[in-house]
Amino acid sequence: MLEAIDLVKCYGPVRALDEFSLSVAAGEIVGLVGHNGAGKTTFVEIVSYLTRPDGGHVTIDGKPPSAVKGRVGVAPQHIALYPSVSVREHLELFGKLAGLRGQALTTAIDDIVAALRLSDFIDRHAAVLSGGQQRRTQAATALIHRPALLLLDEPTAGADLETRQAMLDVVKQRAGEGAAVVYTTHYLPELTELQATIAVVRDGRVIARGTHEELVDGLPGEVQLTFDNEEEITVSTTHPANTLIDLLSRADRPISTVDVRNPSLDDLYRSLAVSNAP
Amino acid sequence: MLLDTPHTQHRVEPPPPAGLLDNLRGAAYRVGALAKHNTLIRLRDPGQMISYVAMPMVLMLVLKPLYVRAVEGGATQVATGLMVMFSVFAISIAGNAILVERTWRTWDRLRASRAPATELLLGKTIPIFVVMVVQQSILLVYGCLVIGLPIPRAPQYVVFAIAIWAFALLSIGAALATIVRSHGELSVISDVGALTLSSLGGALVPLSIMPEWAQVAAHISPGYWALTMMQAAVRGDAAGTLAPAGVLLAIGLVAGTFAVRRLTRGWGRGHLL
Ligand SMILES: Nc1ncnc2c1ncn2[C@@H]1O[C@H](COP(=O)(O)OP(=O)(O)OP(=O)(O)O)[C@@H](O)[C@H]1O
Ligand SMILES: [Mg+2]
Repeated sequence: MLEAIDLVKCYGPVRALDEFSLSVAAGEIVGLVGHNGAGKTTFVEIVSYLTRPDGGHVTIDGKPPSAVKGRVGVAPQHIALYPSVSVREHLELFGKLAGLRGQALTTAIDDIVAALRLSDFIDRHAAVLSGGQQRRTQAATALIHRPALLLLDEPTAGADLETRQAMLDVVKQRAGEGAAVVYTTHYLPELTELQATIAVVRDGRVIARGTHEELVDGLPGEVQLTFDNEEEITVSTTHPANTLIDLLSRADRPISTVDVRNPSLDDLYRSLAVSNAP
Repeated sequence: MLLDTPHTQHRVEPPPPAGLLDNLRGAAYRVGALAKHNTLIRLRDPGQMISYVAMPMVLMLVLKPLYVRAVEGGATQVATGLMVMFSVFAISIAGNAILVERTWRTWDRLRASRAPATELLLGKTIPIFVVMVVQQSILLVYGCLVIGLPIPRAPQYVVFAIAIWAFALLSIGAALATIVRSHGELSVISDVGALTLSSLGGALVPLSIMPEWAQVAAHISPGYWALTMMQAAVRGDAAGTLAPAGVLLAIGLVAGTFAVRRLTRGWGRGHLL
């Protein structure tokens, strides 16, 4: 569905993208993670045809972004809403711009309002909405026409639990219907919940790509034992279960708590940050 | 349609338009949606529009005795002069409307939609064009009814002149909005520029009583051409209306083309204070 090959984008001396390659299949959710300034948003801007790359190329369903403009749903990282325009009016505008009319427009609005729980503030102007409500509204304008490619740039930034859950549910549902999703976040547990594959971006390129399991395979987890006398031992290990059994069999004092932590995406992220440090 | 996700309950994206007619219909639908949206925004923040109609009305009334005593055709001079001057101020309505799309970051949001830049611009400018035409029409009607501007013999010339002038102003405003870096800059340029250009053009003090160098310099001001055109149109002078209209049309086309090109590219993140 989405194929990006060797994208390069320079802003003066800054190489925002440096041979950035990524492909996303229909129905796949890709979690784009990486440090601030890694190039995630720049990638989203190129795919949504807002910025032209200096090198490399992108195709969406085999066509250049210019040819499928508007059939992609974009929720930018920064809130972009009209302060004096209500949530409903935003949905109508972006629905119509995507070609929806009549009953189809009404149904699409009702669907997205229900899915992202916008009904409580649907007739309020964007200026008076809370940050999380603005986020949801912005995502709704990207999702309303059920695009086949969704670009969601930190759609849950600053969102509360309810907003986050509503967003994750909709994204999962849309992917289930066959949409390809690029999902940027700094909050890694979301990607586990979304069952997303992951692309780790560093300094303008994708340095690791795969499923959660593939990426954390081989990374050390931790086993921690706390004894009755409050003494602790922590062991870093690639086989937490075996290590735990081993430690328990050799313990010579009463144990109060046992804590086993499997390797997480955070560990992956840290290990990549260290091993790729310039 | 390749890009649609399969969805069983209802088709959410219509099939791609088949012919030219369908394409035009789609474009008209999107421009209509954008024009409605922009009209809403204008109506919810009408302050500027109201003041650019009310201020010249008051000034015309107050200054009329002075003009009538000072020059021949004083009533025509004060009505058309202030109409031209305050229509130049209205450039900032166009400028602001476009600049806020940059500060709100909504221009890029629209650019990412299916509508191409020309549609975005049409939807943006049609309501402002209407605002400008309405402003000038109200002022001319007020001029006739209250100030003593002669009733135009051929109203179609006046309508034509208003349309041309609104187009030129709109293009200048749009071009300005694409190069300034803040609302402050825009208001400095449009207010000082409007005052200078319209008074240089003879909108405030009749050209006939200005020094000779000023009468020559007036030709660089769009205000001069607008004033000449409006006065000719009110007189019902076809040739006198067409020549300055040509100049204004050219100015409008140059500024408009510049604005379209600039707006099509967008700004990325930079360039705003
Ligand atoms: N228009 C621009 N002009 C100059 N530099 C830019 C521009 N756009 C992006 N950059 C630079 O490109 C780099 C990548 O930025 P980008 O916004 O893509 O990062 P990101 O991964 O989205 O970061 P974050 O997690 O903070 O959102 C940064 O160093 C940024 O300063
Ligand atoms: Mg970003």
